[in-house]
Formats: sequence, C-alpha cells, structure tokens
Amino acid sequence: MKFVSISVLAMTAATSAFAQDTQLPQASSDWFTAGQDAIQAIIDRQDNTNRAKNVIVLVADGNGVGTNYATRVFAGQQEGKLGEEHVLPYETPQFHSALIKTYNINAQTPDSAPTAGALNTGVKQRFNLINLGENAIHDDCTTEAGNELTTFAEIVSDMGKSVGIVSTARVTHATPAAVYAKTANRNWESEVPAECETSRDIATQLIDAMDAGTIDLVMGGGGRAFLPEGETLGKSTGNRTDGTNLVERAKDMGAQVATDTASFKALADDAPVLALFNNSHMDYEADRADDEEPSLADMTASAIDYLSQNEDGYYLEIEAGRVDHANHGGNARRALIDGVAFADAVSTALQMVDPAETLVIVTADHEHSIAFNGYCGRGSDITGLCYDVAQEGIAHSDDLVLADDGKPYSIIGYLNGPGAVLMEQQDGTFAAPEGRADLSQADATDIDFVQQSLLPKSSESHSGEDVAAYAVGPWAHLVDGTLEQNVLFHVMHHAVTAQ
Amino acid sequence: MMTRRHLLAASLGAPMLLRPGVSRAGSNGSGPIRLRALYQARGRGLSDLARARMGERIDVWGFMAPPLKAQSRFFVLTKMPMAVCPFCESEAEWPNDILAVYTKRIVDVTPFNKKIVTSGVLESGAYTDPETGFVSMMRLMQASFG
Repeated sequence: MKFVSISVLAMTAATSAFAQDTQLPQASSDWFTAGQDAIQAIIDRQDNTNRAKNVIVLVADGNGVGTNYATRVFAGQQEGKLGEEHVLPYETPQFHSALIKTYNINAQTPDSAPTAGALNTGVKQRFNLINLGENAIHDDCTTEAGNELTTFAEIVSDMGKSVGIVSTARVTHATPAAVYAKTANRNWESEVPAECETSRDIATQLIDAMDAGTIDLVMGGGGRAFLPEGETLGKSTGNRTDGTNLVERAKDMGAQVATDTASFKALADDAPVLALFNNSHMDYEADRADDEEPSLADMTASAIDYLSQNEDGYYLEIEAGRVDHANHGGNARRALIDGVAFADAVSTALQMVDPAETLVIVTADHEHSIAFNGYCGRGSDITGLCYDVAQEGIAHSDDLVLADDGKPYSIIGYLNGPGAVLMEQQDGTFAAPEGRADLSQADATDIDFVQQSLLPKSSESHSGEDVAAYAVGPWAHLVDGTLEQNVLFHVMHHAVTAQ
Repeated sequence: MMTRRHLLAASLGAPMLLRPGVSRAGSNGSGPIRLRALYQARGRGLSDLARARMGERIDVWGFMAPPLKAQSRFFVLTKMPMAVCPFCESEAEWPNDILAVYTKRIVDVTPFNKKIVTSGVLESGAYTDPETGFVSMMRLMQASFG
C-alpha cells in the first residue's frame, strides 16, 4: 500500500499548500493567479502518442532566442500592448518546448545549410554542405558520391505522404534546399563547376525531386535558377548557363506554375505546384506589394489546403527566410516585421490542422549577433531608443537612458555589422573621430535604420547561441530540455512511425 | 567562377580616397531627397516624386555600394548600407530600390556605410552599363557627390 500512502501524503501536501497560498499577501495579485493558471494548463496537458499523419516544420531563419524575444515585444506593441507581456502563437501552454544546440560538425557558429540539413536527416552536417555525411568536403564534388543522406521527405514519400516547401527565400536557398538537395556547396543553386560532371545544381535537383514524386508543392522566390540566362518569367530573369528551362520541364511533367499573386490565387488542387514569385528572395514583408507576392500566411494556407488532400498525410516545411537577411543587414525593424509575418503563418497553420494527427514544430536554424541594451522601462519601443524605468506606474519614463558618452542608444544592437560605430578612414584604419552618432527616436524607429554595432562587418554574422523549438501534436512532448538540432528529425520520424 | 567574395575583394581593394563633405542643400534649394522617396513604398514602381522630377538635377542621399569596377565613373547608390554576405550568397543581391550613378569624374570610393549626397540629372528606362553589364532602371547622370 505504499502507493496509497504516498498519494495521501501528496494530497495532504497539496491541500496544505493551497491553504497556505490563499494566506499569502500576494495571493490576490493577478501575477500570482496567472502563475497558478499557467501551471494548471501544463498539468492539464496530455501527452499525445498518436501516430502523426502530418508533420509541419516552421523555421524562421535566424530567429534565435534573442531575435524571437524582440519579435514578441514588437508584435505586442503593434497590437497596442506594452509588448513584453505578449504571447506569440507558439508560446502558449499547449506547446512543449526545448532549447536547441545549433552548431555544425565543424563550426561553432552554424550556417543555414547544415542546420536545415540536420532537421531533415537526423545528423549534424558540415559547414556550407547540404545533406551529405560527415566525410564530405565543402566545395569538393568528388566527395558527394557515397555521402548522400536520406531525407525526411524521401522517407515520408515512401510512406505515401505528400511533401511541400514554402519559403520567402529562394526555393534553392539553404533551408528549403535541405528538404530535397544533396550538394557539396550550398551556392551551387543554378550551376556546378564544369569538372563536376556527375553533380547536379540545386534547382535541377528540385525539379528532379518533383519528377520523382518526392516534392509536390514549392512556393517561394529564386526563379532565376530555373530559367535560361536572360529569359524572363514574371519578376525572374534566368541565370542558367546550361540553357535549360526547368520551368518548362516542370510544366511538361504536369506541374502548374505561379509567378504573382493573381496566378497564385488561380492555382488548382489537381497538379504539382511550382510557384516562383521573385528573381531572388521574395520581398521583405515591409516592402511587399500584395498584388505582386502573396504573404507567408497566405502561402501557408494554400500549401496546407493542397497537401491535406492526401489521405496518407504530408510533410510541409515553411520558412520565413528573411528574418535572417534583415539581421545580416543590421536592420532590426525589417527582421521583426518578417518575424511577425512568421507568427501569422504559424497562427494560420494552427487554425487549419488537427493537433490530434498533425505534429507542428516551430523553430529556427540559428541565432545572430543581436543583443539588447538596458536598463529600459516597460513599453520602450523595441525598435527604438531605451527609455528609463519609471519610479511609479508601469510604463517607461520620458527620459532617455544615456551612455557614458552622453548620447542615447537603441535597445537593439548587434555585436558586428554594417552599422559599426567605427568607420573606415582615408588611411584604411577604422575609427570614430566624432564619436557615436547622436540618435533620435525618429532615426532609430525608421524602417531603414541600421542598428549600431561594435565590430565593422559588411554583413552582420550568425551566432552559435541556442534557438528554441516549440511543438504541439503527436509526440510533441519529446521536444523537451536542451537538445541537439538533429534530434528534431528523430521526433518527427518517431511521430510518423509510432505504433 | 567569379564569386561574390572575389568580387568584393577586388572592389574593396580600390583606393579609399575620401573627399570632404559638400553642401547638403538641394539643387533647387530644398534638402536632399531620400533615395527611397524615388520608389513606391511597396513593390517596384517609381514614386510620383520620381516621375515629377524626371529630367531635373536633384540631390539624393544614400550610400555608395562597393564599386563593381575600380577607376570608374559609375557606382550604385543604395538607400541603406549595402550589406553583403559573401559566404551565404553566390552572387550580388542588389535590392530593387537603387539608383545607378554616372559621375563626371572618376569615383573616389567612400565606405559603404557612410551617408553621401549625390547630385545629378534623374533619368529612367532600362540601360545596361557597357563596362560592368549592370542593368539599371533609374539613374543620376552627370553626377557629383560628397
């Protein structure tokens, strides 16, 4: 009767704790009751051990814990909140979560190709390679043969599932390419070196995958890699030097092609989809014209509608590719606007799927050198300057926090990037003879503002800091603790094969 | 294959001869125009302002992208510092909202993240630069900058 004894003791302890809670001076605080509600929601959460029919992975490229924090505050402030208290669609108690270690086999600071490859194959990979084993060497096509890994798309295709890719980056770029490509160089998007006679460029591999039936739907940018040099289609002008028209090849295979919002809306549900909305990456959400390119959320909805027709299920990878690019530019505001577009896409997906049968994983591939200054009061515009903490009330004071140089500073900065306070001088040295720029709030919140950074670099860099992963649906509870990035593949694989 | 890394290495090797700043007053007495004001806020179209000022000498502020060719009378003006990611992009990723600038004198290269004001005659229509192959849709001709 040991079990009963323990249970009785536990109940007694719980009752005692509850009685004690109500006597605490803070018991009537909203913070206190919200805390109680939060743990109750976690207690009520039931592990889902169904076999997953569908798997959706949503990746915001470059959206590590820091960038995601900024997106959360920004999204809340866009809704009129102070911001810090906001909850993104994937931060609710229904989601399980983990920290993810993103390093590559040979890189402390990861790049997007091997990180996405780890998600899609279950093993860590080498810097700048896609879906090749650990013995492959970057830029050496002779190491491709024998090192090709099997992708999750290939595994689930063999199970009869459909596969889709949605990205605001080029569909031949690292994260989408990791669903279908195997290459010694992530930059071989439209051609391979002449001596690599048995290698295939990434765009060709995509159309080959559509031909093989391992990819059913593709939406994103990067049309240039599918067209002969100089040939135009929508916003795209081809750069293929081999003269091959991969769009025509896709059409010959029965695929339907979209190049703008009108043709996107006209897509039917009875043929494979190749949608190429831009020559290179799709526009930043801040610059996107609705009649030229669909939103990430609209593409997400269309892809789920299309793929859901398969009774055996589907695998869909969705990437917000340009959070990363804006971070590279040191332009936090565009990164956060694309981050909100990503959150909207997650929300759209969650509204369309049944968590009883669909595993949804929300994550990022890596973080950036983004960092946050302090000490700022509640509600300081996360894209603007740091305002002081108020002695009374909640919201920040009207006083700017000043650095020791007497000048205000933005909340968001980067450790390196194009906004370096050190400028190149006539003699080639780097210095700041006039000190840091004296920023106004209007400067800092401008859409084109480039955050100040410490080190001068023309492109701000990734960092090796952890990202988060959030999961709901079958076997989502395996996303827990601190995990290696490749473990997420194993969660997906276990979910679709569970007995 | 000429990679972006090689291209940049070549262009950044150009002499960094900075000129003292010039007046920021616009040619018509108003302040310089922000480059982005020459384009619609969303999408690719030219703005009403650009159409209205076509053929006029205007002052535009922006940033000089790393030149495509040393000792040239041509450079690209960008609305933001032209960040490049040599290892993650295989070729130049030019934004849509840029301005080709054809100068009266050989370009003294300025750092890509130093704000400059360029004065020139605004011109539109597709044009391929004969030396670099760069295709522009809008340009400043007979330009000077500082």
